This record gives sequence, structure tokens and C-alpha cells, in this order.
Amino acid sequence: MHKQRTNAIVTLYHKLGSPPSFYRISGYFLKWLLLLSIGLLIWGLYEGLVLAPADYQQGDSFRIIYVHVPAAWMSMFVYGIMGLCGIIAIIWRMKVAEAVMMASAPIGAWFTVIALVTGSLWGKPMWGTWWEWDARMTSELILLFLYIGIMATYSAFSEDSRKAARMAALIAVVGIFNVVIIHFSVKWWSSIHQGTTVSLMGESHITWDMLRPLLIMAFATKFYYGYSMLKRARIYLLETESHKRWVQDTVNESNNGDKS
Amino acid sequence: MNPFLALVKRDLTLGLRRKSQIYQPLVFQLLVVTMFPLGLGSGAKTLALIAPAVIWILALLASLLTLDQIFKNDYDDGSVESYVLTSYPLPLSVMAKVLAHWLLTGLPLVLFSPIIAVLLHLPSSSYGVLMLSLLIGTPIFSFMGSIGSALTMSLKHGGLLLTILVMPLLTPVLIFGASAVVESSLGNSATQPLLLLSGLLVLSFTLVPFASAAAIKINLE
Repeated sequence: MHKQRTNAIVTLYHKLGSPPSFYRISGYFLKWLLLLSIGLLIWGLYEGLVLAPADYQQGDSFRIIYVHVPAAWMSMFVYGIMGLCGIIAIIWRMKVAEAVMMASAPIGAWFTVIALVTGSLWGKPMWGTWWEWDARMTSELILLFLYIGIMATYSAFSEDSRKAARMAALIAVVGIFNVVIIHFSVKWWSSIHQGTTVSLMGESHITWDMLRPLLIMAFATKFYYGYSMLKRARIYLLETESHKRWVQDTVNESNNGDKS
Repeated sequence: MNPFLALVKRDLTLGLRRKSQIYQPLVFQLLVVTMFPLGLGSGAKTLALIAPAVIWILALLASLLTLDQIFKNDYDDGSVESYVLTSYPLPLSVMAKVLAHWLLTGLPLVLFSPIIAVLLHLPSSSYGVLMLSLLIGTPIFSFMGSIGSALTMSLKHGGLLLTILVMPLLTPVLIFGASAVVESSLGNSATQPLLLLSGLLVLSFTLVPFASAAAIKINLE
């Protein structure tokens, strides 16, 4: 006879899978995620906007990449997380996965909006137009439509939040396969319609002084996403589980904590 | 009788009784196409230039008008539940529904497209490619639409949501379909976009019925 061993990862999975322990465990991380993201944001913006050397072609206007590129990365990263959570939500019906997915949607959508707006602000001095139908901008715009579709699906089934979340999960999963096809079709389309567009980075390799702030900003946005997503997911769980005992206990506890 | 064929036959019979569903999308196409010369001016050159895009976008919009019907009526009268409850695989039932829907709404669009092409002065040498590209592309509309229809069938006003959900997913079809027609109207070979379009059809033929079946099951919970 050998003893039943508990795998640490399996335990963690089960713990994170239950809303009360997810709520409790995520509570420990919130403060640190917020501190890390604010700290890195200040550091990264200072390095990027003040310390990094000006570009020899684009001058100071290239500095918008310290907002634009991390936002564009996040728009795809968050969609990837949503697709993953969507698969988990459909197959294992894990409530926390639904919460993480629905909590991610507005954050990802706003990162997409930021990427689009900063891209067009950058496009004006660089290309001379606010909007260019180039492959990346077009697929980013379609990504925004996918985000909107997911949120619209969720709100259409407002009377049953679990059904709504699984419906939205299905769209997220279908979307994640499609994003790849859309991206390549749009790339191919823009290559036949307007020849090669100006390649932004060109041949010039980015120097470490310019790259470092970008990486710092990439981490800052990741931590911000972590903070904001957990915060939203916690509220989502409190709302959807409001009839459960643990929610009442949590609310009572925090009310007492405020009074004392 | 084979359940697949029985379902197709039933849907065709029902569909042919409601003829408005078949001819209204065509009337819609004709109406919208009339607006283009009125707005742009009747110059044959301008119209021929935009013809491939206009014909494809019209096919997309006309399909979107009818997509919610794939499952809506069956949901309302309870047939969808019987598809789920029978031992016959649900993805195959979905495929039968999609096939019937395409025969009723997609095929007429394909057959009608030369008339639109004449109105827009598309070079007659590209009619073949136009019809072939629509023949490959419109079933993809029906397949992708079946996901949207399965998701929105229980909603009272799901039409707009369906459009928002399905349209971004159909951009690749539009890109390859329209560019096949553009290439052939310029006298080039349209093989490459047509092959890519066929690839999309194979993908949606094999994968989408499972997604729609999952959507139906979630929706009936």
C-alpha cells in the first residue's frame, strides 16, 4: 500500500478553483501587485521619457512606443489569457476561470483602445495620417471588435451569469483560433494592396538604453493587469456568489473591520 | 431514411414554404446595389473598380440577414431540444441544418451574383471566378453563422448581437473572396486566394459544427 500523495500543483489548482480560497489568496497579492506596477510604471516612464536618447530619425516622438508597444502587447496577452480561461470554463466549468475571463475583458479592450489611439497619434507625425490600413492596425481593430463581442454576449444573457460567462467563453475560444487566421489574412491582404509599408523599426537595432524602459513598461503593465484583473474578479465572485455563506461572512468581516 | 438527409429535407420543405426568406435577401442586394451608382455616379470605371468588394460585402450582409434563422425557429418550437436528446450526434445535425440553410439562402446568392455583376460593370471574364469564389465562400458564412445563431437563439432580439459576433470572424473570407475577384478582373490568376478560401471552408466544415453544438448545449442549460 502506498500513501496517496497530494501533488502541490493539483492542490493549488483545487484551492484556486474554489471561489472563497481564491478570494482569500488573491487578497494577499493585491497590495504587492499594485505597488510593483506603480513603481515600475514610474521608473519605466522616467527612463523612457527622460533618460532614453532621442531617436536619430524620429526625434522625441518615438517615445510614444513606451506606451503604445506595451499596450499592444497586453491587448494580445490578455486575449490569450481569456482564451485559456474560456477553454477551462467550458471543459471543467471552473467558476474562477469564468471570473478571470470576464474580469479580463474590459481591461484587454481598454489596452486595445490605448494601442489604437497611441498608434494613430504616432502615425500622424510619422506617416502623415491618423489612420493607415496596415496589417497590424487592422488586426488590432478587429481584436477590439472581438473584445466587444465577448462583453456584449455576456451582457445579453444577464439573467443567468454562469450561462452568460460560458457563452462568452465560447466566443473567446472561437476567437482565439480566428485571431491567428485573421492576422495572417490581413497581413497578406495589406501586402497585395499597398506594397511593403514603412517598417517602423527598420534595420536599425534598438539600443539597450531604449529597450530597457520598454521592458520595464512591459512588466509594469503586466502587474497592473494582474492587480486590476484580480480586483475585478473578486468583485465578480462576490456579486455572482452573493447568496453564499462565505460572501456574507466576508462582507460582515470587512464591515466589522471598518468599525473597529 | 438517414437522419441527416431527413433533417435536410425537412428544413428544405419548411424553407420553401416561407419563400420570403429566399427572395428577400436578393431584393435587399438589388436595392443596395442600386444605391451605389446613385451615390457614386454612374461611371462604369468607378463601378467596375469597386464591384468585387461591393458584391462580396453585399453577399456578407445578405447572409447576415438570415443567419439567425438557422436555429431560431427550431428553438422556439422545441426542435433543438430533440436534436440534443436523440442519439444522433449533435454536430452532424448542425451540419445538416447549415447545409439546408446554405441551399436556401447561400446558393441563390451565388446564382444571382452575375446580375449584380452586370449592374456594376464587372468585366465578364471574371464572372466564373466570382461565382466560384461565392460558391466556396458563402457556405463559410453559414457555418460561422451557425455558432452565432446557436448562441443567440434564446434571445428575443439577437440579430444585432449575432452580427457583432460573426462579422469580425468573417473578415478572412471577405479578404480572400474579394481579392480572388480583383485578381481575375485584372487578368491575373485567382488560384491562390481561391485555394486559401477553400482551406477556410475545410476548416469551418470540420471544426465549426462542434463549436455550434457546444453553444447549443450551453444555451439549453
